[in-house]
Amino acid sequence: MKLLKTLAMGAALTAGAGAATAQGIDDPTRAEYYDAFKGKTVAYVPVAMGFDLTEGWAMGLRDALEPLGVTFDIRDPNWNTAAGAQAITSLIDEKPDVIVVHNPDVQSYARLLKKAEDAGIYVVQVNMRSSYSTSAFIGADYVGMGEAIGQRLVDLCSPSNGASGKVAITQGVLTAAASAYQMKGINNVLEKHPEIQLVSNQAADWDSTKARNIAATVIQQHPDLCAITGFWDVMDVGTAAAIKDSGKDVYLLTQGGGNQSACDGLENGTYDEVVVYNVPGQARDMANMIKQLMQLNPEPGSMKTTLFTQLEFLTKDNMKPGSCWSLPGQ
Amino acid sequence: MALSETIVRWRYRAIPDHLLGEVLAKRWIDNAIPLLILVAVAATFGALIPGFFGMSSIANLMRQWGEFSLLVMALMIVMVAGGIDLSVGSTFALGNIVALTLMTVAGLPWPLVVVLTMACGAAVGLVNGLLVGYLRLRAFLTTLVTLIIVRAIVDMLLLKYSVAIASSFIDADAWYFLGEGTVFGVPFSVWLAAIVAVVIHIVFSRTRPGWAVLATGGSRRSAHNVGIPVRRVICMTYVTSGALCALSGVLFASRLGGAGADTGVGLEIAALTAAVLGGNSLGGGRGSAAKAVIGSVTVMILVNSLVRLGVNSGANSLLLGLVLLGAVAIDVRWLKNRHKLLSKVYVAPTYARLPAAPATTAPSPYAVNDRLNGVELIGLGEIDGPEDVILDADDNLYAGNRVGDIIRFFAPDYTRQEVFAHVGGRPLGMAFDREGSLLVCIGGMGLYAVSKAGEVRKLTDETNRSLLSVIDDSRLRLADDLDIAPDGRVFFSEATTRYEMHEWPVDSLESRGNGRIICHDPATGTTRTVLKHLVFPNGICMAHDGESFYFAETWACRISRYWFAGPRSGEVEVVIPDLPGYPDNINRASDGTYWLALVGMRTPTMDLALRRPGFRKRMARRIAFDEWLYPNINTGCVIRFDDTGRVVETLWDRKGDNHPMITSMREHKGHLYIGGISNNRIGRLKLDGMDAVWTGPAAYWGSK
Repeated sequence: MKLLKTLAMGAALTAGAGAATAQGIDDPTRAEYYDAFKGKTVAYVPVAMGFDLTEGWAMGLRDALEPLGVTFDIRDPNWNTAAGAQAITSLIDEKPDVIVVHNPDVQSYARLLKKAEDAGIYVVQVNMRSSYSTSAFIGADYVGMGEAIGQRLVDLCSPSNGASGKVAITQGVLTAAASAYQMKGINNVLEKHPEIQLVSNQAADWDSTKARNIAATVIQQHPDLCAITGFWDVMDVGTAAAIKDSGKDVYLLTQGGGNQSACDGLENGTYDEVVVYNVPGQARDMANMIKQLMQLNPEPGSMKTTLFTQLEFLTKDNMKPGSCWSLPGQ
Repeated sequence: MALSETIVRWRYRAIPDHLLGEVLAKRWIDNAIPLLILVAVAATFGALIPGFFGMSSIANLMRQWGEFSLLVMALMIVMVAGGIDLSVGSTFALGNIVALTLMTVAGLPWPLVVVLTMACGAAVGLVNGLLVGYLRLRAFLTTLVTLIIVRAIVDMLLLKYSVAIASSFIDADAWYFLGEGTVFGVPFSVWLAAIVAVVIHIVFSRTRPGWAVLATGGSRRSAHNVGIPVRRVICMTYVTSGALCALSGVLFASRLGGAGADTGVGLEIAALTAAVLGGNSLGGGRGSAAKAVIGSVTVMILVNSLVRLGVNSGANSLLLGLVLLGAVAIDVRWLKNRHKLLSKVYVAPTYARLPAAPATTAPSPYAVNDRLNGVELIGLGEIDGPEDVILDADDNLYAGNRVGDIIRFFAPDYTRQEVFAHVGGRPLGMAFDREGSLLVCIGGMGLYAVSKAGEVRKLTDETNRSLLSVIDDSRLRLADDLDIAPDGRVFFSEATTRYEMHEWPVDSLESRGNGRIICHDPATGTTRTVLKHLVFPNGICMAHDGESFYFAETWACRISRYWFAGPRSGEVEVVIPDLPGYPDNINRASDGTYWLALVGMRTPTMDLALRRPGFRKRMARRIAFDEWLYPNINTGCVIRFDDTGRVVETLWDRKGDNHPMITSMREHKGHLYIGGISNNRIGRLKLDGMDAVWTGPAAYWGSK
C-alpha cells in the first residue's frame, strides 16, 4: 500500500513537472516594449521625396515602425525650404512624438528644431545636420568623408604619380551640411598638398543639369583635368554625361546612399568610384534611436547622440553583388 | 384670367429677377467670387485637416501669410498699373541674402539692414521701372529677364557669403522679433502686412497718386491725355514692388536665417496665382489691397494644407498651376463678359396687366378733338425740351431745358427770355414755395431750390437707405416732380431707382414698382421715403384739401391719392385706374379740378407685351436697344379730372402740329401753358370759362 502511494506521488510530481516545462517564462520587458509605441507618431520631413535617399529612409522607417503601431507621416516640401519650414512649424503645433528632419541647409531649420524640442518633440536629424544639435543625428561624418575624398584625390591626381594635379569639385547646395562640412574636410587635406590644383569649386544645388553644365565648362577650360568629385551620385549623372560628351578620361568620384543605381553606374562606367553611406543602415539606426527615445522617454534635448554611418569606397573592382540596395520595384 | 397667365403672374411675383442684375452691378461683386473661393478652400481643408481652425494652426498660417501677402501686394500694385512683375520671387531671395549678409558678414545694426535691403529691392524695381516705364519694353519679358538676372546675382552672393552666413550666429533679439515676434498674440509680420494693406488701400482709394496708378492701368492713353505722367507712375509701381519684396525677404531672413539656394524659387507663380485669384485683373486698372489679401490667404491655405496633408512631390506645383489657370480664365472671362452679362440680365421685366383702355372716340370723355389747335407759341425754336412750365405771381414763365438751365420768359408777351439759373442737370418738375423760391427736381441730381435772385441751393440728394435693397437707393437718381404741402414739406417722386435719367424708357420695359415718393422737410432738413414700389411715379399735385396729394404712375396708367395728414393719413386710394395713356405731370385747375398731361397713349401691343414678361425679357436680351418695343410717347393730350376721378374734359392736338407729346401744363390767369420734354416750344391756350385771375402761387400761398 505504501509503495502504491509512493508511486502515485511520484507520478503526480512527474506530471506536474511536465506541465511546468510546457508553460515557459514571459519576457518581462515585452509588454512595456510594445506599450511604448502604442499611438505614437513619427513625422518625416525630407528635403523632397522621390529619390533614393529619402525614399529609402522612409521605407526603412516605415518597415521598422509601422508594425509596432507607430503612425508614420511624411511631409514633402519638394525642394522648397520655405515649405519645409512651414511643415515643421505646423508639426510643432500638431505635436507628433518624433520629427525626422533632413535639413536642406545648416541654418534654416535650426531655430525651428530648437522650438520643436522645447515643445517636447524628439528631433532626429538624418544625413544632413543643422547647426543646432538635437536628440540624434544619423549620417555620414562629412568632415571625415571630405578628408578621405581629399586623400583619394591626392592619390589619384598627384603630379608625382604622373597626373595633371587638376581637380574639380561640384558641391550641392553650398550651405547644406553635406557640402559645407565636406569642403572643410577636403580643404584640410588639400591645404597640405599644394601640388593639387583646385580648378573649379562650384555649387550645382543637387541639380544634375547644373552639374552637367559646370562639368562641361570645366573640362573645356582644363582638358587635362584629372578628377571631378561630386557630392551626390544622382546629381553627378550630369557630371558623368559631360565627361562622356567630352571624350576625356576624367576620374569621377561621387558619393551617395548606395542605391542599385550607383552599382549600375559603376558597372557601366558612369562613375569611377562611389563613396557609399548605407541608406538601409541609416534607416535602421534611426529606427533604433527612435525606439530608444520612446522607451527611455528622456527630456527632449537632454540627450544628444551622433551616429556616424560607416563609409565604403566602392569601385567596379571591389563591388560585389549585394553591395547596393534596391527600392521595391526597382 | 387664364391659368397660364396666373402662373406667370405668380412666378414674377415670387422670384425677384431684378436682384440678379443689381447684384452683378455692385462693385463688390468683383470681390465676391474670390471670397467664395476662399471660403470654399477654407471649408474643404478645414474638413480634411483636424485642428485646422485651431489657434496654433491659424497663428502658423498667419505668420507665413505676412511675408507672402507683402509679395502679393507688391505684384498687385504693378498689375493695377497694367504691368506684371515676375521678378518678385528673385527680389525676395535677394532681400533675404542681402539682409543676412549685411547682418552677419557686415555686422550692421538691424534697422540699417532693413533700410538698406529695401533700398536694394527698390533698385531692382527701378531697373524694371526704367525698362518698362520709360523705355516701354514689354513688362512680361523684361521682368522675366530680371527674374533670371537677380536670381543669378543671388547665386553669386550665395557662393560668396552663404557659408559665412551659415556659420555665424546673429545675436540681436530685435532682429528675430521681425520674423518671429508677436504683438498682442499676432505675429509682427502680420501687423506689418496689415499696415501695408491699409496704406495701399488708402493710397488707391483716397489719394491722387493711387488714382493715377489706377487710371494708368485702366487706360494708359486716357491717363496720358489727362496729364498723368504715365511713365513715371509705371516706374514707381515697380520701385514700390521691389521695396516690398525686399521687405518680405527681410522678414523671411529673420524667421529662418537660411541662405538656401531655393529661397523664393517659384514664388512668383504663387504670388501671381494669389493676385489673380483675388480678382486683380491681369489687364490692369482693377485691383485692391483687399483683393490681394483675399488671394494671398487662399493660396496660403492651399499650399500649406497640401504640405500638411503630405501629398506627393509636384502635386503642390501642379495644383497651384491649375488654380492659376482657372483664376486667369475666370479673370478674362469675367472681365470680358461681365458687362455683357449685366446688360443681358439687368433688364428684368415683370408681369403687369393694365385694365382695359377706355375708348378715345365719342361719347368717351377722352374723345379726340382739335382743341389744342388754337395755341399761341412761346419761344419756338429757342427752348429745348421744357419738361415742366410754371408761372410766378408776376406772370413770368419758367421752363427747364436740355442743357441744364432754367429759362425765364418775361411777361406779358413772353418774347424776351433769360437764363434764370444754371442748375447743371435736367430740370424736371417745378413748384414755388411760400417765399417765392422755385423748387426744382433735377434728374440725376436731386431736389434743388432756386431763390428769386437765381441762386441755386441743394435741398437734398439722398434719402434713407432701404434695409433690404441691393442697389444703394439712398442716392436720388431721377427726381421727377414735386409739390409742396401747406406746412412746407416737399413731396417729390423719384421715377425709378434702377435706371439713370437717360435710361428712363428702359424702365417702362420692366413695369415694376421701381419708383417711390419721398418727403423732404425743409424745417428739419430730413428726407424720408414715404411710398415705395410705385410704377414710375411721375406727377404730384397737392389736393385742394391740403391733407393729400394726387400722384401719377406712368407705366401703370393710373392716378392715386395719398393722404399725408388728417383722419385718412397714410391711406392710398386709386382715383383713376384706367387711363388711356401714360400720365405725366398733374397740376391744379382754377375750379378745384386738376389738369393732367398724358405723355403718350397706350397701344394694344404694349398692353399685351406687359402681360408677357418672358417676351420682353427675350426682346431685351436678343435685339438691339433701339429696336425694342417701347410705350408710345408720340401722341398725347391734356385732360382735366375732378376730386372723384371723373374726367371733365380732354384737349387734343389731333394733327400733332404743336403738341404731339405733352409732359406738363399750368393754368394761369385763364390760360393754359403747355410743355413737352422733347418739344421746342411752349404752348399758350386761352381757356374759355375758367377764372381769368386765378394763379398757381395764389392758390397755394394766398395773394400777397
